[in-house]
Amino acid sequence: MDSLIRAARRLPLSGKLGLGLVVFWIVVAIAGPFVAPYPPGSFVNEEVFAGSSGRFLLGSDFLGRDVLSRLLSGARFTVGLSAIAVAIAASIGTGLALCAAVGPRWLDEILSRSMDTLISIPSKIFALVLVAAFGSSIVLLTLILALTYVPGNFRIARSLAVGLARLDYVEVARARGEGRLYLALVEVLPNMMRPLFADIGLRFVFIVLLLSGLSFLGLGLQPPDADLGSLVRENTSGLAEGALAIIAPAVAIASLTVGVNLLIDAATQGKAE
Amino acid sequence: MLSRRGLLGGLAAGAALAPATRLAGKPRMGGRVRVAGIVASTADTLDPARAGNSSDYMRMFLLYSGLMQYDQGLLVKAGLAESIETDDNIRWTIRLRRGVHFHNGKALTADDVVYSLLRHRDPAVGSKVKAVAEQFVSARRIGPLEVELRLVGPNPDIPVILAQPQFVIVENGRRDFREANGTGPFVLKAFAPGIRTIVRRNPNYWKSGKPYLDEIELIAIPDELSRVNALLSGDVQMVIAVSPGSVKRVRASGSHLVMETKSGVYTDLVMRQDNPVTGHPDFALAMKYLLDRDLIKRALFRGFATIANDQPISPLDPHFNPAIPQRAFDPDRARFLLKRSGLLGTRLPVYVSPAATQSVDMGSILQEHAARIGLNLAINRVPSDGYWSTHWMKHPLTFGNINQRPTADLMFSLFFQSKATENEAGWKNERFDRMLIEARQARDPAVRKAIYGEMQLMIHQTGGVGIPVFISLLDGYDRRVRGLQPIPMGGLMGYSFGEHVWLDA
Amino acid sequence: MSGTAPAARWRGPARLVAQRVVLALFTLLLVSAVIFTISGLLPGDAAQELLGQGATSEQIAALRHEMGLDRPAVVRYLEWLRAIIGGDPGMSLVANKPVAEIISERLPNTLTLAALTTLFSVPFAFLVGITSAVTRGRTTDRALNILTLAMVALPEFLVATIAVLVFSVKLLWLPSITIVPQDPTPGEFLRAYAMPVMVLGVGVIAQLGRMIRAAIIAELDRPYVEMARLKGVSQRRLIFRHVLPNAVGPIVNAMALSLSYLFGGAIIVETIFSYPGLASLMVNAVTSRDMPLLQACAMIFCATYLLLVLIADTVAILANPRLRQG
Repeated sequence: MDSLIRAARRLPLSGKLGLGLVVFWIVVAIAGPFVAPYPPGSFVNEEVFAGSSGRFLLGSDFLGRDVLSRLLSGARFTVGLSAIAVAIAASIGTGLALCAAVGPRWLDEILSRSMDTLISIPSKIFALVLVAAFGSSIVLLTLILALTYVPGNFRIARSLAVGLARLDYVEVARARGEGRLYLALVEVLPNMMRPLFADIGLRFVFIVLLLSGLSFLGLGLQPPDADLGSLVRENTSGLAEGALAIIAPAVAIASLTVGVNLLIDAATQGKAE
Repeated sequence: MLSRRGLLGGLAAGAALAPATRLAGKPRMGGRVRVAGIVASTADTLDPARAGNSSDYMRMFLLYSGLMQYDQGLLVKAGLAESIETDDNIRWTIRLRRGVHFHNGKALTADDVVYSLLRHRDPAVGSKVKAVAEQFVSARRIGPLEVELRLVGPNPDIPVILAQPQFVIVENGRRDFREANGTGPFVLKAFAPGIRTIVRRNPNYWKSGKPYLDEIELIAIPDELSRVNALLSGDVQMVIAVSPGSVKRVRASGSHLVMETKSGVYTDLVMRQDNPVTGHPDFALAMKYLLDRDLIKRALFRGFATIANDQPISPLDPHFNPAIPQRAFDPDRARFLLKRSGLLGTRLPVYVSPAATQSVDMGSILQEHAARIGLNLAINRVPSDGYWSTHWMKHPLTFGNINQRPTADLMFSLFFQSKATENEAGWKNERFDRMLIEARQARDPAVRKAIYGEMQLMIHQTGGVGIPVFISLLDGYDRRVRGLQPIPMGGLMGYSFGEHVWLDA
Repeated sequence: MSGTAPAARWRGPARLVAQRVVLALFTLLLVSAVIFTISGLLPGDAAQELLGQGATSEQIAALRHEMGLDRPAVVRYLEWLRAIIGGDPGMSLVANKPVAEIISERLPNTLTLAALTTLFSVPFAFLVGITSAVTRGRTTDRALNILTLAMVALPEFLVATIAVLVFSVKLLWLPSITIVPQDPTPGEFLRAYAMPVMVLGVGVIAQLGRMIRAAIIAELDRPYVEMARLKGVSQRRLIFRHVLPNAVGPIVNAMALSLSYLFGGAIIVETIFSYPGLASLMVNAVTSRDMPLLQACAMIFCATYLLLVLIADTVAILANPRLRQG
């Protein structure tokens, strides 16, 4: 714990800002639903797209629901779902990449070709087809998002791992007679963590955006649940009048993704210097 | 004799149009407009039989003409048919207008009409109105400009049916629809499915002096916000289907207007009667009491709707029964009914989809109110893609979206008759079916009206559908576009704006 | 290593290209099988979707027969495969037209949009990336960093909508939908494409810019840069003569990914600007269950992607002798 705090202190200003945003959104994701002033689905305001007021800090949405409450309950989906999806995508992608790097040549070929197959189908259309075929429950949606980003992660991780696997110290270990699993986990993986985390950060952003893109195409979460992207989407008719109902979730998405990336940028670079 | 409906149609139209024309000024010739519809896909067609969406309908009415044409109210007027007569509602004699020519110069004859009507029965044509055309026993030429149409049974609504976009007249023997050869107000200039249709003025149109515009380009902008933006930025001059939320914005622009067309379109909660829960009379009634019609009208439609009463005939229809008391939002009563039948704790999925207008939000509202009285509804939103074929009517609770049909008979026989394929709720009532036939045979309009009134009451009381509101159609247009009038059969004058509008300088 | 003869220099890439072409064909086969399998899981078929809400089962059966959909899926797939090997993508099920004809209407649109966006964004991306890298850690870099992050972070549909509201509706400068007139003047042409190119460009500049920055910084940390600096090589010369050529591998790779995104990922931009490109055609093919059309789109996207990656890899190998020995 102490070392974490010390590491946080050492971060540059942008990193501290990023850390602050990330922590803020994690707290919101966990505690949000409990502090929301109204149930997210209830119609509490006669006026639609109302501005900020004492009772409704962020105004009301296109149906007269409380924007703040919906935002507080929606953050959980965006943060949680994307985090789980990116974790799954990265584990599968990196795992397969390591297999490809230390495994026999034919395995590498098979994996690379299958990943090329997946990556060459545009991700939004791929997700669209999967949702149309399998539906969009929370679990399925998470898996679909994860699956969509496995190939991208695989590509990056494989190129990193293949590069590392050719380096002298790995060759030395190989000559020592170490097993493939050992090579992958002990020699290769630790040395690719830093660039890998940068990739995961970016991919987290992509998943948040794909999720909101899916909401745009009407394929996101089931109502009354709504992730931040769906909040933006369902209130787009208020954009012209500058309604808080759309500005607030848009700012939320941006601050979350920017925060994650600032933190990762700072953390990975901090160690380099 | 001219058919009753045709005659009435002509009179009503004359009365309503006169002051409007005065207001709008004298039509001006020339000009070009670009019109944005909602749908464009590779399935866009020039074949009337396959016309299946609003953009197709607009295209049909630009290029072709029907024997009858939609008019204001829910009425029709004579089109290519000069008259349409019957003594028994079974044998109809259609007399055609003289001197009408197809775009390629060929004169319109009885053979073209016979071919156009009967081709819908051929399965290979893939006609959208095959089911309707099945009632044509025969159509034969009895003179160069005279056709006799025979039906399986009596149907007083034939003139209205013939005004539908699929029944417009094509050339005898035409199978290739890569080109369009019609008798409509405009001639095809360019057609790229899913991209655009460009038509130019037909100088030999059979209505003298019409159409007014030189050229119309029909495109589609599926996203509502983009559609309205395109209107406001001047990239298009007319758009169909403005959402209620955008009306304020369009009107505030000062340069654009919105036309509200009251219609009988509705999005309804469908409760399957073959399911033990949703088929329980108490359940269906409770759900009807749970529909917050005022909120739906106010929040979802911003007032551009008419409160409905769980039966499908809108106040626009001459057969509307105003004597049925309005059902109000009454959660206590709903709770009582559910408790009585022991269904309060049940958990049920409701299928909603953007495919059924506003059903996603209606479902959310319903779910919220249901939760408050202890009924668990899980909203299951599914993509538009495939909704109608795989979800609608296939689960205990789904939402449907029913477009305006021109007559009460069609409304009932398509959606409520026991054997109808689209009997949404699977509601079966033998007396209702008998009354439907009785009404067709009735010669006295008053008797028919009484029968239809009773049928509305039956659906209101025991039917398996909750109909919260009738939705108004909203179209946006540039202030300079003149001559638009509401026709409840669809947006932009029942899709037939082409020959009516002109562009002011 | 440094004395490689010109012939040998090309031998590696040539073998790579030959190998990759064979593998690409195999990948295309896999993609077509995946597409066919997944779309077989979709509810409904072309006949049902075409006839819509009110169709009876006899009507659907008749149309299905007409379309040949009543034959087993495997038979249909093999037939399609045989035709495509002969170069014929078949007839569209719903449009009554050869697939090739439909594609030929859309492909130029997608190519134009992708090309214009590339021309617009790549210079900016290099500008951003290089500026950011050489001012690493200073205010300019930090500002650019936050700016590019924000550009990546906003959903595309929001960027597009805001752009339309500002430039089309409020200021009336640019059209809100992309309709290119027939025989446009260069001015009309640019005006028509300005909005979609701008919106797509935002994402591409930000992503590519960040990649270029990362690649350059990775090179700047290498010992030879220190050496060159000590020898008094100017900053400009250092970046353009030494660092960039060495960083070319990751940069062309990033460019290949961005370009393939412009090809198939422009679905939201195509929807908002109602621009008839290939991505919306593919979505259209999915919703109408038009299998031959869907397959053709997938093949094009896949082939483009593979081609771009191949070019990127070849360039990377040619530029980097260490990889050339493969």
